[in-house]
Amino acid sequence: MPKQGFQPFMESPLHHFKLDAEAQPRRADGRIWCNELPHLGYAVLRGDTAEAGFAQLVQQVTGLALPLKAGAVSQGPQGVLMWTSPDEWLLVSHRQRLADWTAQLDAGFAAQQLFAQTVDSSGGLTLAWLSGTEHITVLRHLGVYDFESIPLGHMVSTILGKATVQVIRLDSDGVFVLFRRSFADYVWRLLRRAAQPYGFAVCQLEARSDHPLFAQLAAPRPSLILA
Amino acid sequence: MSGYRIHRPGERINRQKPLSFVFDNVQYKAFSGDTLASALLANGVRLIGRSFKYGRPRGIVGFGAEEPNALIQLETGAHTVPDLKATQVELYQGLLAGSTTGYPSLDFDLKGLLGKFGRFMPPGFYYKTFMEPVKAWPFYEKFIRKAAGYGRAPTEADPESYDHLHHHIDVLVVGGGAAGLWAATLAGRAGLKTLLVDEQAEMGGWLLTERRSRIDGLSGMDWVNQRLAELASLPNVSVLPRTTAFALHDLNLVQAVELLQDHLPLTERNAALPRQRLHKIRAHQVILASGAIERPLVFGYNDVPGVMTAAAGHSYLNRYGVAVGREVLVQTQNDAAYEAALDLALSGVKVTLADARQGGAAAWRQQALKNAGAELLLGHGIAKVLGDKSVSGAQLVKLDARNNQVIGSGPRLSVDTVLSSGGLTSTVHLFCHNGGRPLWNQQQLSFVCPDEGRENIACVGAITGRWELSDALDQTHATVAALLLGHGRGSTGKAPAVASEEVAAPRAIFRLPDGKPEGHGAKAFVDYQNDVAAADIHTAVRENYRSIEHVKRYTALGFGTDQGKLSNINGFAIAAEALGKPIAEVGTTTYRPSYTPVTFGALAGPHVGETFDARRYTAMHASHDARKAEYEVVGQWLRPWYFPKPGEDLHAAVNRECLATRNSVGVMDASTLGKIDVKGPDAREFLNRIYSNAWSKLDPGKCRYGLMLDENGMVMDDGVTACLADDHFHMTTTTGGAARVYSWLERWHQTEWPELKVRFTTTTDHWATVAVVGPNSRKVLQKLCTDIDFDKDAFKFMDGRSGTVAGLPARVFRISFSGELAYEINVDANYGRYMWEEVMKAGAEFDITPYGTETMHVLRAEKGFIIVGQDTDGSMSPNDLAMSWAVGMKKPFSFLGKRSLLRSHTAGAGRKQLVGLLPLDPKVVLAEGAQILSNTDDTVPAAMQGHVTSSYHSAFLGRSIAMAVLKDGSKREGDTVFVWAHGKSVPAQVVSSVFVDKEGVRQHA
Repeated sequence: MPKQGFQPFMESPLHHFKLDAEAQPRRADGRIWCNELPHLGYAVLRGDTAEAGFAQLVQQVTGLALPLKAGAVSQGPQGVLMWTSPDEWLLVSHRQRLADWTAQLDAGFAAQQLFAQTVDSSGGLTLAWLSGTEHITVLRHLGVYDFESIPLGHMVSTILGKATVQVIRLDSDGVFVLFRRSFADYVWRLLRRAAQPYGFAVCQLEARSDHPLFAQLAAPRPSLILA
Repeated sequence: MSGYRIHRPGERINRQKPLSFVFDNVQYKAFSGDTLASALLANGVRLIGRSFKYGRPRGIVGFGAEEPNALIQLETGAHTVPDLKATQVELYQGLLAGSTTGYPSLDFDLKGLLGKFGRFMPPGFYYKTFMEPVKAWPFYEKFIRKAAGYGRAPTEADPESYDHLHHHIDVLVVGGGAAGLWAATLAGRAGLKTLLVDEQAEMGGWLLTERRSRIDGLSGMDWVNQRLAELASLPNVSVLPRTTAFALHDLNLVQAVELLQDHLPLTERNAALPRQRLHKIRAHQVILASGAIERPLVFGYNDVPGVMTAAAGHSYLNRYGVAVGREVLVQTQNDAAYEAALDLALSGVKVTLADARQGGAAAWRQQALKNAGAELLLGHGIAKVLGDKSVSGAQLVKLDARNNQVIGSGPRLSVDTVLSSGGLTSTVHLFCHNGGRPLWNQQQLSFVCPDEGRENIACVGAITGRWELSDALDQTHATVAALLLGHGRGSTGKAPAVASEEVAAPRAIFRLPDGKPEGHGAKAFVDYQNDVAAADIHTAVRENYRSIEHVKRYTALGFGTDQGKLSNINGFAIAAEALGKPIAEVGTTTYRPSYTPVTFGALAGPHVGETFDARRYTAMHASHDARKAEYEVVGQWLRPWYFPKPGEDLHAAVNRECLATRNSVGVMDASTLGKIDVKGPDAREFLNRIYSNAWSKLDPGKCRYGLMLDENGMVMDDGVTACLADDHFHMTTTTGGAARVYSWLERWHQTEWPELKVRFTTTTDHWATVAVVGPNSRKVLQKLCTDIDFDKDAFKFMDGRSGTVAGLPARVFRISFSGELAYEINVDANYGRYMWEEVMKAGAEFDITPYGTETMHVLRAEKGFIIVGQDTDGSMSPNDLAMSWAVGMKKPFSFLGKRSLLRSHTAGAGRKQLVGLLPLDPKVVLAEGAQILSNTDDTVPAAMQGHVTSSYHSAFLGRSIAMAVLKDGSKREGDTVFVWAHGKSVPAQVVSSVFVDKEGVRQHA
């Protein structure tokens, strides 16, 4: 007989660095301040903007307008929706909310017979927050993209060292770097190394209830996910 | 004059900061602001090295990147740097350096004795001399290797760090002399994002040396400081000193290396900062203001220590307060060298100036020199320099006014230093790196960059052959103003005002004649670093090398760490004379990056050590660490290889893991397999086309093994794909093939079958996969899961189920890469380690055994399962692998590779096919890769029948097994073949490649 009372626990891709233990309140001291936003929910959204009802359904379910321009990011207090290719977007939110959204979206796509889908990627991705006056310089040490040119509310998919990342700029305070779980150790070590000339520190994650990404951390972490 | 130091107004050294340093074990004194070269000269050190081929004594010739001789070894141990130019090493307290040549010592060099017979060492000496007997070459090589080369590469790991920095800017200005500073000022004022780089520690270029010019009424350096202050005030402008732009690539990508800490004592370097930084600069507009370098004249024994360029003598005097000699002969064919002579004479040095021109310089210059007390000899040239390890004098000759010939003897002068100037050579390297060609300018006697530059590359100042400051600044202003106008930027005001001066034309002479046929007089060196003399170039031409590129390679002209900065034009001119062609027709050799040597550290940047390559980890990695796994790298993944218990080696651990899995239950981290979500109404049709087998009738809840073929019908990947719903599939790929397969799917969908409604999303990282393998695996799963029926008839082999495992939603597939009853549990990777540990707990009562890739390989080989890339090599079709069952030739639409499978060669006889091999001696494990012969005759060339692809000891079978590809293998079961490796043949029997459970009872259990 199966035993009862399983107690599943999550480990984020950067769990092994024990970032919580060294986190300090962020200060404007010229250093690079960084941390992982663990355990967020991610889903790849695929669809055809030419199909009537697709964009409307996405907005209706998520409250986020479907971004149509390359690299554009829609944001709201419940999460972000990023353009990643002409028929592909990435949804990021609280895990539980994301699971609710994807269930509603898939049901809606089926009901309206849309050629659209969601694919849960919550286990495969993570985000690092990078701030401090030289945070863009850190990216310039590692990647060929013109990071200074990313407008607010935009993201770009590029390479840091030998790993693919997405760099997301929501405001002028810092950037979010999105990368795959298996590359997380490498990307974190790269960021840490590149930040060395300026000083590198792990910042405490800020509970900002109005922030499209930090707010998703504020809610209690779920012990379960939905398939 | 005390020693060789002279106080000079505006000198760049700081006498308030004395320093000490060690060269070749002797301690010397110097000042902050010195280079190693200026400090050595100030201390009267002349002999710096021995030459490459003849071992001749050599000293400092130049004062910057052009230096060919003064290659030194800096510091020791892990910090040692070989072959730095003493002229570019900024001095710091405690600096430790030494010469790189001289055996057994710099003062007494064996090669130097050999050099006395230099006449018998023509170009191509080594090729010509050491040809026979062929067998003796290793013996010769030992000595030639010892004689070759300069410094010593470090043998310890570099303790310093390096980084890269990318720039995206409007304007890059290369060169911080007058032209570059003005160009940067104009671009900066126009609001353009501008970067100015210069290789030296200070901006100013030639103005650092030349003190007479006034710009806008200011002294040269005051004007430089005014420019730097203005540039510093502009937020859109950055200025990087100690930064050498060493390569220009297509689309205006310029690479530059910045020496951030090389000028600091080792103990004062900041460990948080890199030693050097590689800048990768992408500029809409590049402005090359890299100036010009003075070249020497070529004359007899022009390599004796104490012979330098006039610009070097001038710079050591004015920048570093060092008189290079007390009695100096200046030899020139142009006006500019008069400045060096004049400043030396005014500093109390006894100066004689020999001018190859009958008329000499502009009258005002001649007068100024005479007023300063210098002697002037017009129409004279040096026949040869006197002295061995240091200049002691010079023999002059009178030159014909027109022809470069001797018309009479000249005085024999007693001097301790000879400075020579053969005119300026534009620094055209960057302009030429990606295909630009320089033009020969007969008036200026230099290859120069064209005034019009190239698309998005402008050339300003001396690089265009404008030697006079007034001309250079006027041209810079006009060029940059036109550029800015093109950018829609407005007025740029006036060019800086510099009074123009009368200048006499230079004489077109490169090799000063000595009255003897070339090769009969004193050796006259063109390329110091490679010991190439004028006579060698004549020899090369005589031996019918007609192209300057061939002359270069035959003589070694222009190779080496100085890349011929002093020697190229002289070499081209001498080759032109020997060939009887104009210089313009002879042309130049090809300029390639790097302009100056760049450290490997700078090129590698952050891609070293723990960030050398992307290392990918699964979610269970900490669990594997805790169980002391040994790892192997697969693709970029770090996978457990085996899990040794104390005292176990690889073989012992693998034997134990294999038996435990076959007899009870094993567990493996299968997370690294590629996973792709395939969804859409046309998903099935797409799979039909991309896989060789049929997918139309696979029901939801079922899995199928598929082979992916390339266009040639050869196997490129394989894996199990599960049908989740009628329009939804979970595809798996090999670990190393995941990215390639994903691109392959997208490529065929986007380019050939865009009408198919299907989409692909990579989910490799999302799912963590635990493979539970062995006869007790069902019991383990049943302990963890209640909502899936594990009954053998309810959940069959190649079925998939969704359910709750250990409290988590999971996809469970009953698939097997071992031939055992086995399940793969897939969960959200954030729960991967949790799931692994729950499986370990549940399996504890069955002694569940974690295993790695090695045991996986043995288990699958026992079952005859292939590994793409190990048992296949891009030339194996499904038929070759005895996998025709995985090819659906009757599918209504074609599939990738189908047509190729029908071609005569692919379908014909004589192909290598997969077989099993059993060595007759069951203890012998065949070598993987070993060739297979039909008999014991291994006489070369043997008729090779195939090779061993996989070979292991099977603990379960108690003997060795192997897989191989063998010509017509499918028809050769029962044959005995001979496997040849390490000089002997081992007999083996050809058998089926399925060694365990041919009937499949175990996996269907």
